Amino acid sequence: MGEKTFRIEDELRLILVGNPNSGKSTLFNSLTGLNQRIGNFPGVTVEKKIGFLKINDHIKAEVVDLPGTYSLSPRSEDEQVTFDYLNDNSRNDLPELIVVVVDASNLKRNLLLATQLVDSEQPTILVLNMMDIVERNKQSIDVKKLEEKLGIPVVPINARLSKGIKELKQAIANYKYKKVPKFIENHESKDALENTVHRFNKIKDIVKLTLTKEGESRTAKITRRIDSVFTHPVFGFAIFLLILFLIFQAIFSWSSYPMNWIENGFLVLGNWLSKTLPEGVLNDLLVDGVLAGLGGIIIFVPQIAMLFMFIAILEDTGYLSRVSFLTDALLKRFGLNGRSIIPLLGGAACAVPAIMSARTIANKKERLLTIFVTPLISCSARIPVYTLLIALVIPADKQFLSFNLQGVVMMALYLLGFVAALLTAFVMKYIVKSDERSNFVMELPIYRTPRWTNVGMTILNKTKVFLFEAGKIIIAVSIVLWVLSSYGPGDEMSQIEEKYKTVLADSNADLTAANEQIASEKLEVSYAGHIGKFIEPAIRPLGFDWKIGIAIITSFAAREVFVGTMATLYSVGDEENTASIKEKMNRATHASTGAKVYTKATGYSLLIFYAFALQCMATVAIVVKETGGWKWPIIQLVYMGALAYFSSLLVYQIFV
Amino acid sequence: MRMRATLADYKVGDKVILKKVLDNHLTIQLYSMGCILGEEITIERKAPFGDPIIIRVEDSFISLRKDDAQKMEVLLS
Repeated sequence: MGEKTFRIEDELRLILVGNPNSGKSTLFNSLTGLNQRIGNFPGVTVEKKIGFLKINDHIKAEVVDLPGTYSLSPRSEDEQVTFDYLNDNSRNDLPELIVVVVDASNLKRNLLLATQLVDSEQPTILVLNMMDIVERNKQSIDVKKLEEKLGIPVVPINARLSKGIKELKQAIANYKYKKVPKFIENHESKDALENTVHRFNKIKDIVKLTLTKEGESRTAKITRRIDSVFTHPVFGFAIFLLILFLIFQAIFSWSSYPMNWIENGFLVLGNWLSKTLPEGVLNDLLVDGVLAGLGGIIIFVPQIAMLFMFIAILEDTGYLSRVSFLTDALLKRFGLNGRSIIPLLGGAACAVPAIMSARTIANKKERLLTIFVTPLISCSARIPVYTLLIALVIPADKQFLSFNLQGVVMMALYLLGFVAALLTAFVMKYIVKSDERSNFVMELPIYRTPRWTNVGMTILNKTKVFLFEAGKIIIAVSIVLWVLSSYGPGDEMSQIEEKYKTVLADSNADLTAANEQIASEKLEVSYAGHIGKFIEPAIRPLGFDWKIGIAIITSFAAREVFVGTMATLYSVGDEENTASIKEKMNRATHASTGAKVYTKATGYSLLIFYAFALQCMATVAIVVKETGGWKWPIIQLVYMGALAYFSSLLVYQIFV
Repeated sequence: MRMRATLADYKVGDKVILKKVLDNHLTIQLYSMGCILGEEITIERKAPFGDPIIIRVEDSFISLRKDDAQKMEVLLS
């Protein structure tokens, strides 16, 4: 970290650094509002948030939000990213100012990082966040004195209420770099640990001079009281299970309204488009290909957004770290760690960010095991597949122990995923060798009401990523699929047209029935039909026909494509575009026998297949990045594929 | 020879002073969270079978496992 000359002309870069739970992200959100985007740090997959703001009429700033860290001696890969970014001297496009965010209600601990930054001699401003908690605890901080002792500007703020933001901007605009004496002298000579003790002793003196407090703070007392229930050996678990149950209930009952609106909206739009656009290939491609595929995925946005919302709330209140505490003893036995519960729960939304969040697990083996088993947790992309298949094979009015059977099966599938994840980890524990000691040193932040802007931003950002990433694949797959199912090799297609020419010309014939017959015969001889038929022998024992075969192949890219594929496969030929996918699939029969395709046995078998198979390119890609190679993603792909195949085989043979 | 008392030997509600940490990696973790030598530690909670544990250092709550606690030599404060 060399010395940098610092002069703001019209643009600068603000780098937000701070302890985890210091309110850094809240400050980032209130500084940049919606003017932010999420990218990746080069070479690694830790989320990099960049935003923009105007400091005043002349100065613009780019804001970079770095992962939280306790000190400048990194111990997890997340902290390593922060450390590397701060030490990277190759950026010289903009003058850079570090904004170190300090939780004022936990001054001593937070000053460790702040004083390390002072000693790095980079331009730094200190932001004292959470001043409301300091006041609530009847404490006070002498800002002037703190400024004098540290030698850098100190700005008290309350990011949650956007208080002090104006003052912060002013301080940034007026910032002048001046060299200050090092906080601790000749720190090269001592080892890092001795240094830290030395540093803390000096910090203690400063805290004594600047902070007035009496005994234990009120917020800590409240947290202790809440914890006596939430981390209780019996009530704690009961509350956790209750919260999970309520989340699932809420997701499935609340989301049914917006889902109906979206479904109907797409039907109307499809109808309108197919009538308005001139008839022909483009019309068919748009309505039967792209729109059908997109509609099949947008409909699940309400459920996915809600899942992200609940996880964000649990995290923001501080509750998730209590869940880690509660589950550590259990997870430890399966070769995992209490911290693994955050990726595992996050996996219920989407495995990609969940696998990234495994970075906070410092132990390499535990992190690998967590990454390996997280995709077994049923993610939101399975929701569309589960919902469709459950609705297809289980009557809505069926009860199981006076609960709605559809809901029970859904819960059972989630449970199945979780159990499979634990058992897999247990086996892996004995296969993967490691002599690194595992531990569970983790901060439990004080309880707080969720910061709704943070929650809103998380929902918005994550849903956007999901929709656009999945949307891109789905549009591409839909188009390819439409082409493959609309055209075929040789002249088989025209032969069918020839065969029905006389029927179509006959004015007394049932045209709708004839058209449907033509469409299904055409699909069978199309390229897609040939591919499906080719793999049919392999999936026949699982109860799948060649149409399902096509869907399995196309949904290798992403599971939710299954629904889009079904929509496309069953739409081709549905000229009026009137029925929903479910109705069309329900009517589907085997051409040779006339028996229903989607029986209970096939439905269950397909559900199990989608619960276990690693049908997600994005997950494979993230595992390659996170494990630094192809070895683990390939093992994962083969393992989950085999698990899916044989479990489905078993289930089909039981129910058929 | 009698071993010196570690954090794991104390019960919920006890206040102790951290004297020595027997694992370098653990030391770094504890230090960065403000739990340094000479600091007063309060044992807040223990999960069933004494594992894991929640301790409090000033206004920070930190969780750790029994094996970690067994590596922290302490004296009753």
